[in-house]
Amino acid sequence: MNPVVTGAGFVTPIGNDRASVERSLREGLHGIERVEFLGNPDLPVKVAGTVKGFQVESPRWRDWSWPAGYEIPKDVVRGLAPHGVYAVCAIEQALSHAGLRPSDLAGDPHTGLYCASAGSAMLMHYNLAQMRAVRGVRGNPLGVVSSISGTLNFNLAALYKITGTVCGFVSACASSSHALGYAVDDLRLGRLNRAIIVGAEEANADSLLPFAHMRALSIQADPRMASRPFDVGRDGFVGAGGAVALVIETPSAAARRGATPLAEVAGWGQAADGHRVAASHPEGAGLRLAMERALADAKVGPSDIDYISAHATSTPVGDSAEALAIAQVFAARGLRPPIGATKGLTGHTLSLSGVMQAAFCVLSFSGRFMPGNPHLGVAAPECEGLELPRGTVGGAPGRILSNSSGFGGSNVCHVFVAPDRIAD
Amino acid sequence: MTPLPDSVPPPALGGFPPEVLEAYQRYRTKADLGAAEEVVIAAAIDYRPASASLTRGVSEESRLLEDLGYDSVAVAELIFFIEDVFETTISNEDILAVRTVGDLRACVVRKLSAKAGAA
Repeated sequence: MNPVVTGAGFVTPIGNDRASVERSLREGLHGIERVEFLGNPDLPVKVAGTVKGFQVESPRWRDWSWPAGYEIPKDVVRGLAPHGVYAVCAIEQALSHAGLRPSDLAGDPHTGLYCASAGSAMLMHYNLAQMRAVRGVRGNPLGVVSSISGTLNFNLAALYKITGTVCGFVSACASSSHALGYAVDDLRLGRLNRAIIVGAEEANADSLLPFAHMRALSIQADPRMASRPFDVGRDGFVGAGGAVALVIETPSAAARRGATPLAEVAGWGQAADGHRVAASHPEGAGLRLAMERALADAKVGPSDIDYISAHATSTPVGDSAEALAIAQVFAARGLRPPIGATKGLTGHTLSLSGVMQAAFCVLSFSGRFMPGNPHLGVAAPECEGLELPRGTVGGAPGRILSNSSGFGGSNVCHVFVAPDRIAD
Repeated sequence: MTPLPDSVPPPALGGFPPEVLEAYQRYRTKADLGAAEEVVIAAAIDYRPASASLTRGVSEESRLLEDLGYDSVAVAELIFFIEDVFETTISNEDILAVRTVGDLRACVVRKLSAKAGAA
């Protein structure tokens, strides 16, 4: 039996709760702002998908604050990175949405935790600079667990007393999609009956500017022009931060406690490009195969898909590869499901991207709408044959295909089914 | 770290109450070891794991592990804080001899006295 989603929590550039995220998606409201990294007005990167309501810019936890309503004990905060604070807030929302209390997870050997983040480059830099300043004599004892890429799993497992699977994923921008996929498999295999999937990232200079040095970030200063997936004039992605958490459960575990299924995770697939370290296969070969495998795993065909949540980040190469891959799977069969690239609104949240799209799919089902591409002006020539609505499409999708791709050519896709269409 | 001017509290003290910052200033400006002890005791209370319940108030006799709920990592954090703020080094051997808040206070005073003597 396929797992069902029973809760979702959001700390995103377009809102920090379900209602505000849904409104932003529905009305095409973006969360991209002007920023000045490192106090340098001459940097070409002028915008980012910022997280609002949190003050976590300092490398010192004593300087941090977060929105009211989240109690994070001081000894927990000390081990967290800024994006770990986002993650706790997203998990608290997801648990509440699912009708669970933290005590329901504590010590339950059938609950697992699947995390994705790139770690905190800012804290690693700060902690190592502190160590080097005293020539290695001392350093922050929590420097490792607060900054390396497993920081979410270390801290959240301890905070929520997780005793089932605890693991982290490091496939760059496909990381949280892998986290969701492997969690789904563990539930299908009967190893667990519940999993928390969380992705989180920081939108600061240390996390984002290195991508500018790869020439991967947009240098548009206008927040409405910078992130334009599939547009002929796109010039790179807009870096973004936040956290999203999902609760998935086996249908029987959800039914036992009277939880409402919000979506079914009907299948997933992955395939790699076998191509370049940081550029997609020019025709999206791996992504095409990943989509086909996800559809096969979900036991559906391309004609069963009502909407595609694209990975499209607004980079010239990546969007082109995805457009061509979608065209091969869908347009080549005369199919034109609407495609939405929500990174036009959020910016690219890196490892968080996949689970964020998954949670947006949940909102599409409950809110009966499909996000469009509000910043798209003129679609690039390689998008010929694709349905790229500018505005929101009304009506409830029955099945959504959600794509993600990461460095090294990792491609991961999921198929989600609306609650009223489960077992159709 | 570049030594801070005496008038600027180190960043690690951010968020501590004014009386602790004031005690730290007294230590820096007047070499008042009693004031340094106040900072050490405030830190021992501050770094205590939140999940541990206190059955009694914190005193000289309070044991870090048994009474205040410290684990080995929290002890390391407390020591790092003290080293950072007072620009001193506390060895593993010193730490192993510390069981109570009073032991810690005495250990820090010994370090700071030795440092003042050396200067």
